[in-house]
Amino acid sequence: MPEKVWVDRPERCIGCYSCVYACSRELFGTTSASRTAIFVRTGKSLEDRFHVVVCITCKDPPCAVACKKEALQAKPEGGVTLVASKCVDCKNFECLSACAIGALTLDPKTKKPIICTECGLCAKYCPHEVLGFGEAGGP
Amino acid sequence: MLSYILYVDLTNKSVKIRRRAKLFSKYLGGTGVAIRLLLEECPPNVDPFSPEAPIIVAAGPLTGLLPCCTKTVCMFKSPLTGNLGETHAGGRLASAIRFAGFGAIVIKGFADKLTYLTISDHNISFHDAAALKGQPPSETEKALRIPNVEGLQSVVSIGLAGEKLAWYADANVDMYNHFGRLGLGAIFASKNLKAISITGTGEISAVNADTLKLLYEDLYQEAEKKGGMKKYHDLGTMENVLVLNELNALPTKNFTSGKFDFAEDISGEAFAEKQMIRKISCPGCPIACMHIAALKIPFAAQHEIGPIFLRYDYEPVYALGSNLLIRDQNDVLKLILLADEYGLDAMMLGTVLAWVTEAYEKGLISNSETLNVKPSWGDVESYAQITENIVKMPNLFYTKLAQGVAAASEKYGGRDFAMAIGKNGLSGYLTGYASLLGTLVGARHSHNSNAGYSIDQESCKSSITYSEMVTKLIEEENWRCVQTSLVICLFARNIYTEEKVAEALKLVGINRSVDDLKKLGGEIFQNQYKFKFREGFDFHKENLPNRIFETPTMTGKLDKKMFTNMLASYISKRFRRRGSEKEF
Repeated sequence: MPEKVWVDRPERCIGCYSCVYACSRELFGTTSASRTAIFVRTGKSLEDRFHVVVCITCKDPPCAVACKKEALQAKPEGGVTLVASKCVDCKNFECLSACAIGALTLDPKTKKPIICTECGLCAKYCPHEVLGFGEAGGP
Repeated sequence: MLSYILYVDLTNKSVKIRRRAKLFSKYLGGTGVAIRLLLEECPPNVDPFSPEAPIIVAAGPLTGLLPCCTKTVCMFKSPLTGNLGETHAGGRLASAIRFAGFGAIVIKGFADKLTYLTISDHNISFHDAAALKGQPPSETEKALRIPNVEGLQSVVSIGLAGEKLAWYADANVDMYNHFGRLGLGAIFASKNLKAISITGTGEISAVNADTLKLLYEDLYQEAEKKGGMKKYHDLGTMENVLVLNELNALPTKNFTSGKFDFAEDISGEAFAEKQMIRKISCPGCPIACMHIAALKIPFAAQHEIGPIFLRYDYEPVYALGSNLLIRDQNDVLKLILLADEYGLDAMMLGTVLAWVTEAYEKGLISNSETLNVKPSWGDVESYAQITENIVKMPNLFYTKLAQGVAAASEKYGGRDFAMAIGKNGLSGYLTGYASLLGTLVGARHSHNSNAGYSIDQESCKSSITYSEMVTKLIEEENWRCVQTSLVICLFARNIYTEEKVAEALKLVGINRSVDDLKKLGGEIFQNQYKFKFREGFDFHKENLPNRIFETPTMTGKLDKKMFTNMLASYISKRFRRRGSEKEF
């Protein structure tokens, strides 16, 4: 069974972005709050709790269904892979709005969605046990 | 790599972006770059409230890249001291500035209306802030924060104290952080600037991504897993309350004692147990040193309540707790809340309230000055009324209080118990000579300038001569000038060893040996003093309240003559080249 990341204890998030920066470091070799597959979102005030969002690897992924170019392909174990060569000339980016939790964003450089690779580094660098990583867990 | 500076002109509502790669490669960022920009941009002897006086905000070359490189440095001409204003803040600002593509921001001019500025990557716009007038930072922050923003956003704002030009008004950063010291809030207001929102969607790069990953892992382990910063995560700076009280170093009742009988009631342990509801981090730091309390304010029958979330730390708790003989946690929090909501430096507010209480006791001021408010030790209601009056300034007395204890004691007397050095309210360390001298000679008159308190503690454990103390202060401040140029949070100072700093800088293409860096630290300090001397700073003209030589400290009672000798030794070691303290 493949490993996956999940948000296990959202109430514990301290907003340190260690997960976000681990992701951008791993995927792109830089630090960014935009070029990442995991997000720490803030509401209308820093008084609010932080909202951590990462792909939950749906079994029948709405993002893949929404993509008219078949650039996002459902994996048998859940989640999607990006076929970059097919992700071209898109104007509406329906994959983004199809995801109810907003786990997909565009890489501002390539204009293609950033897909979580389930590497687990975000969970490794979370100091507050917000994230789970492994074979069995998650919703 | 850091290169770009955003120059904002509020008068003409115009901006320009300049590439200053050499400035950053030589002076790194933070303190190093900010002081060069201040020397460039601030006309000599300018009125701090003049449109020509700049606000300089600087991030660092390591911001966001490595753990705990999270602070932002701000420089300006201080209305409180008439000299170098330097204050540092955590929060999201440094990362947001870097993600927006800048290393520093310079703001000058005077807007025709109360204005807030939005910086969204390289799109900058000016907005009418009429609806934010008089609002506390917490409300301004909510008005300007964009929910679920792409990238990272930071909001800097001032409260009513700033708008009324109180000389120790602060600027709030992202709700729970502050550019706390030396009056930045009033400088914002003098430019008709209420707030800045800055959002960045870009990225921060290293020369080599693989080396970045390795060094990040190494430092993360040091900070988080090996417990190098455990104190700051566990109780936070509040751990100091009981530690310092035990050492006879917790300033109490306006520095008349280092022992507070009720220290346990306002200890870090007690706050964590009774008040703390969460901890928060700056982006890029796993430590979560921000300890947030929930203050319940009942307002009517049937258990009606207004909950307030606010940050507490050692310095505000000493200043508005033990130093005022306040032992109730809720009372301390109420005063911290007032400082937060009005946008006042909580430390300086505590210094002022303590001075007022004593001046009133001694008959230097009476009800005609206080407008019938009767300050008394431990009486939170009278302190709340005085705080309100400080901000609203209904008469000359309160106007003077809004200018700090130096100005107030000059007018009404009581300089011997006006507990400020370099006109800045003292930090909470009644530890000994090094703390005292360090505050006087530190470029920003803060315990953080050179950690004198720590040298004092060291002197208890091993024999250090007074001359060695002076040398240590110099070395420590030089190195801190490097750390605050990067800009490393000083809570992480111990995990960023000299070798680690040199290694880290290679990540951003800066190859400097440890020795070179130390020399650079010395040069940055000299630049700070170039500004200070230019604006009239004189070691010998600063008031030293006599109380510091009367109250026993952790290391015993301090002797004024010994202190004077140490100062002379410091000056000769620091500025020895041409024998004059104004020459380097």
